[in-house]
Amino acid sequence: MTDKEQNDILEQWLAQYKSLIFKIVRSYAFTAMDREDLFQEISLQVWRSVPSFRGECAVTTWLYRVSLNTAIRFSQRERKRSENRADLNDSHQILLEADAHHDQRLEWLYGEISKLNAIDKSITLLMLEDFSYREMASIVGITETNIGVRINRIKKLLIEKSKKHDLHGV
Amino acid sequence: MEFEEMKKVWDTQNNEPLYVINEAALRNSIATKRDKGIHITNVTELLSIVVNLGAGVLILATGMFLLATWMIIIGVVCLAGRVRRKMGEQQFDRTMLGDLDYAVSIADYQVRFSGLMRWNIIPVGFLIVWSMWDKQNSIELMIGLISFFALTFYASGWEHNYYRSRRRNIEDLRKMLLKNDREEVNVR
Repeated sequence: MTDKEQNDILEQWLAQYKSLIFKIVRSYAFTAMDREDLFQEISLQVWRSVPSFRGECAVTTWLYRVSLNTAIRFSQRERKRSENRADLNDSHQILLEADAHHDQRLEWLYGEISKLNAIDKSITLLMLEDFSYREMASIVGITETNIGVRINRIKKLLIEKSKKHDLHGV
Repeated sequence: MEFEEMKKVWDTQNNEPLYVINEAALRNSIATKRDKGIHITNVTELLSIVVNLGAGVLILATGMFLLATWMIIIGVVCLAGRVRRKMGEQQFDRTMLGDLDYAVSIADYQVRFSGLMRWNIIPVGFLIVWSMWDKQNSIELMIGLISFFALTFYASGWEHNYYRSRRRNIEDLRKMLLKNDREEVNVR
């Protein structure tokens, strides 16, 4: 596969599934700089993964797999802040804030997701994207029962917190 | 808010993306990062391989067999690490657990390798100082050499600790992922 073909596929995937990557970026990175950095890292890993994609699963499953693995490792590793800053100064900004309507409930949901640990965060994202237990198990690499247990716990937690939020606005 | 409502709120993002991508800047960034990553890793690995193997062969000619063998072994270990990395970096079909397993194995390799390189300073330093002493060099040079090796040994401890803490982080993440699986097995 030539570099051009690889670039074309990446662009096509980004055009079609960019929302998916934005959601992951927003859930795992909390400053504009980190989001920019994580988005670049995910794009690079997706680009690298293009030749390995054999069409054995849906593109969305593939993108989630590559992006979540990258995001989890990103949130764990110690980042060299000065190096990132230098990278950003060298290039133009890649992620430009869209003039989208800001829904407070969405802000709240992201806030709650950000408080979860890296693994539960991934499962929550997959759950909100309507992946089946089987698909989630194949992406995460744990049993469907384990996925079920975690999902029940996360749902219960989110619903309880939303009730508190509705009652007290906190 | 019930979960179904959360799901609806979540889905609004599909029609109204939060960001716009600057595609030209992204293309440049990918090209730069790709070349930079490959360059740094390749240079570091190739340097370790060439320097250790080259120096090992040259020292062999001087008759210092122990030091030569040791350096050749280190060169071969670096080569094996490179082959392993090359084989692993193209595997994108791993699950999250598979990816963490791979990350643990690489981190483990880095810990063992940095440890080996650290302790390697002692025999190499000792053999070099010994051969200089044998050639009746000045005491100032001996003290300078010993200080240099001591400082290198101390500094390499930082690198070793950095890799250990990175491995610990990945292992913690792996444990977190497997926590419920283990609990499940115990209940059964």
